Amino acid sequence: MNNSVTLAHGAGGRQTSELIDRIFKAHFANPLLTADDAAVLEAPKGRIAMTTDGFIVSPAFFAGGNIGKLSICGTVNDLACMGARPLYLSCAFVIEEGYPMDQLEAIAAAMAKTAAEAGVRIVSGDTKVAGKGQVDGVFITTTGVGEILEGVETSGASARPGDAIIVTGDVGRHGCTILLERGEFGIEADVTSDCAPLWGTVEAVLKHTKNVHVIRDATRGGVGTVLYEIAGQSGVGVHLDSTAVPVAPQVRGVCGMLGLEPLYLACEGRLVLVAPREEAEGIVEVLKTCPYSANAAIIGEITETQKGRVVMTTEVGAETLLPQPGGELLPRIC
Amino acid sequence: MCVGLSAKVVKIGDGTAVVDASGARRSVSVELLRDLEPGDYVMVHAGIAIAKITDEDESETDALMEELL
Amino acid sequence: MAGKQTAQEILTSYDGPKLRIMEVCGTHTHEIFRQGIRRLLPESVELISGPGCPVCVTPVGFIDEAVLLTLEKGATLCTFGDLVRVPGTDSSLAQARAQGGRIQVVYSPLDAVEYAKNHPEEQVVFLSVGFETTTPASCLAVSQAEKQGLDNFSLLTANKTMPSAYRALKDSVDVYLYPGHVHAITGTALVESLVEEGVSGVVTGFTARELLTALAVAVTKAREGKPFFVNCYPRVVTREGSPEAQALVARLMEPCNTEWRGLGVIPQSGLRLREEYARFDARRKFDLPAIRGRANPGCRCGEVLQGKCKSTDCPLFGKVCTPQHPVGACMVSNEGACSAYYQYGM
Repeated sequence: MNNSVTLAHGAGGRQTSELIDRIFKAHFANPLLTADDAAVLEAPKGRIAMTTDGFIVSPAFFAGGNIGKLSICGTVNDLACMGARPLYLSCAFVIEEGYPMDQLEAIAAAMAKTAAEAGVRIVSGDTKVAGKGQVDGVFITTTGVGEILEGVETSGASARPGDAIIVTGDVGRHGCTILLERGEFGIEADVTSDCAPLWGTVEAVLKHTKNVHVIRDATRGGVGTVLYEIAGQSGVGVHLDSTAVPVAPQVRGVCGMLGLEPLYLACEGRLVLVAPREEAEGIVEVLKTCPYSANAAIIGEITETQKGRVVMTTEVGAETLLPQPGGELLPRIC
Repeated sequence: MCVGLSAKVVKIGDGTAVVDASGARRSVSVELLRDLEPGDYVMVHAGIAIAKITDEDESETDALMEELL
Repeated sequence: MAGKQTAQEILTSYDGPKLRIMEVCGTHTHEIFRQGIRRLLPESVELISGPGCPVCVTPVGFIDEAVLLTLEKGATLCTFGDLVRVPGTDSSLAQARAQGGRIQVVYSPLDAVEYAKNHPEEQVVFLSVGFETTTPASCLAVSQAEKQGLDNFSLLTANKTMPSAYRALKDSVDVYLYPGHVHAITGTALVESLVEEGVSGVVTGFTARELLTALAVAVTKAREGKPFFVNCYPRVVTREGSPEAQALVARLMEPCNTEWRGLGVIPQSGLRLREEYARFDARRKFDLPAIRGRANPGCRCGEVLQGKCKSTDCPLFGKVCTPQHPVGACMVSNEGACSAYYQYGM
């Protein structure tokens, strides 16, 4: 077998089977993943949640993960935000001709490991090979189905005045990692992506209390964008204590050099939770015992006033608005 | 007009130095400064060190306030 | 902590005559908004945002020249991120990029030289905007390109100097908050001499503590009724500034007349490369035609920059002109007064 992916690997013939056997079956094997046209699955008793997400990331390998791990985390975390235990997952690959086989294997291995941790089974897959230059390396789309735990009702529209806002860890690490890995600005820092599957985290919180109004994972756009979304969807104000937002010093340093706001850097393993004030401390205590949320913190509260806005208390005790999420993140010098 | 960052000099090369700001490191030009040593603090703007400085604003602002009162 | 409290107390308890304080520097504007400092001031102290954002004062025609360089002359533009979304007459750099223009965002002009070295087949033009703080970096870039014998690197200059703006605006201001990093380069001799012309000011840094302290100093001194100057940023700013940077800029560049968006042409307030460095001057190298850009006629950026109107007085503000779809330069730059008002104004 070749050391890189060729167009023949995507043609549906013998080489396609070889690729599937060697890379995908080898890593994803489970009784539900068969050679048939569709997976046949037991339906859970209650409500299900379903979500899909496409993953393109450059570079595909970064400190703390790769596109494979990301493609599982992204979908598992979206399910987890709805209080859904991830059950089944499908994945579709679009691979650029000439892509190194060992890298593809590393991606598949990461997917298998992350799926196992999240307790989700990969039950269906597809592989296409595109000509050189038609895609950038490898693109992955995953779709997931999960079973919503009974009694859980989370939605971005459910935040209520007086609720506390919790973030499960320091913000902006994934975005900062990718920025540094691209090497465009010549900055080095010891930063690792926060990319992580968070069903275990959510399950621990929901075992403690189901009285949680909103769970959101802060992906691209970061925690700042999520807060604006919650303010908009729930028709409430968000009041943030800027000094309470956990940010790793290195991330702060990089942001300082480039004039960026850590609240708008992407995360791939951070949740924003909104819950009644009286539940907040208990939730944070539970979060601190989970592997990916040791730095969980209460960062603010939901308000009746300032609907649709995110107001921050600054280090000098004054109030200001968190700027609205913008488009492309551009480092500024002036 | 000028996002500036105070950073600590960790290594000095030929006209350049590696500076560190809270763990973010970058090579910057130090051609405009004289007698720089590792451990010094500099103000960095657009990839060049524009001034040698003391690290923190606290004692300076305190002194100004004392003078004022 | 005690110091900060005291500065804050001085400000909140100020009951002297009405004071107009202009923060000249765009980074000051940005930090003042980001920290919510305006909300700590009594009504009698008004902060006016001045023309110290190089992006905001760069005329429309400069963007047009840059777009022409990449789309028609095939040049690769290296630029600070700030300029990417500034509207030109027909197109911004972001729009030019979508049309196939090569545009690289860099952190430093020196990175543009590095890019030119690594891409000898491309003609690389660095968009050289900025005041005294940033100009030495552009000059250093030219000097390095010269040393390395690069013939594919040049500057499109729109560099400006501050002193003429201080004079031009002094009647609409009681006290200047002078930009700390400009004076780290130029020193303070000039602004000290402005005291004799009756122009007051304090030079300050950029942290919340530094800004509050400088404002407290400004209101306290203003109450004494005499023109004054205080260096509130001595850890960075000295009387003589940076002789090395001054010498470097003087060797490569010379004063020229230049257009400021909203203020018009101010004589001798710009800098361009000297004749000896003409081969590094993109205008001469590519024989650019004279371009006059057309700004949106409704846009009041000019008056905003002169402190003559507030962003919120502009009919376009927040309606057709937003940070997502900026019409005027003051809305584009993070430092721009309009952007700051839109994003932080409550």
